[in-house]
Amino acid sequence: MELTDADLVARVLLDADQHAFGELVRRHQSTVRGLLRQLTRTDLALADDLAQETFLRAYKNIRGFRGEARFSTWLYRIAYNCFREDARRRKEFVGVDEEQLQAEHDPQIVDSALRHDLMHALSLLPLHERSAVLLCCQNGLSHDEASRVLGIPLGTVKTNVLRGREKLKRTLVEWGPN
Amino acid sequence: MDEISEEDQLDRQLREAAPYIDDNGFTACVLQQLPAPRRTRRSFRGAILLATTLIASALAYIASDGGRFLIVAMERLVALPTVWLFAFALGSGLLVMTAGAIAAIAKASELHR
Repeated sequence: MELTDADLVARVLLDADQHAFGELVRRHQSTVRGLLRQLTRTDLALADDLAQETFLRAYKNIRGFRGEARFSTWLYRIAYNCFREDARRRKEFVGVDEEQLQAEHDPQIVDSALRHDLMHALSLLPLHERSAVLLCCQNGLSHDEASRVLGIPLGTVKTNVLRGREKLKRTLVEWGPN
Repeated sequence: MDEISEEDQLDRQLREAAPYIDDNGFTACVLQQLPAPRRTRRSFRGAILLATTLIASALAYIASDGGRFLIVAMERLVALPTVWLFAFALGSGLLVMTAGAIAAIAKASELHR
């Protein structure tokens, strides 16, 4: 029988079982790295560095996981914090305004080879909408869970998801066959 | 209705568009960087508990004139009428059960917090 995330966390807590933690890393590395790759706009090296930092912090602070949320949600929260701290250090943590977004949406700027690439369209969204869409639509978190991960009010998450979805649809229509 | 199914479709497309990222040594790299586990803490705590229990038992034995108080208590208990003995057993059982129930409720509410 396969152990649940909660069982593995209990083993780490009680016996400092690093094999159990390794299993948790194996289970969640793809989604955490995927999330960070999208947040860093596909900077793979940076995303993987942040993913490693995420898991190291998770191990050191595993006593802070009380099982109120899913383990993956707790990890996303750490990953988002790692990303935000790194971005602050790099002074790149600035929201993309609508004007910039429109410029990015200009079909002439967009590589024609990527016209139907949904992930590329996603990477063009401003950070606050991108992170909300990534968590809710791609990773299946509820609005409430995403609100806790991102540390923003529930209403703001709903608005960001709604706007992000609308922009994605618009972009895909613009890139679609005429 | 159409809007909802459109949203579902978009969410599904997004989930499908996200590729599975192969581990490629990522987990091993994380495990290498983990701090060494501190196993001594639990055994140390156990040793302290055991030593305290042994010392307390030895002190109680010496202070009670070689455990004489136990013999006296047993003699008194045997001399009790059967009804009193039954009431005493029932009372003790209820007391232990209540304490257990209170501890379980406290632990459950702590876990749900």
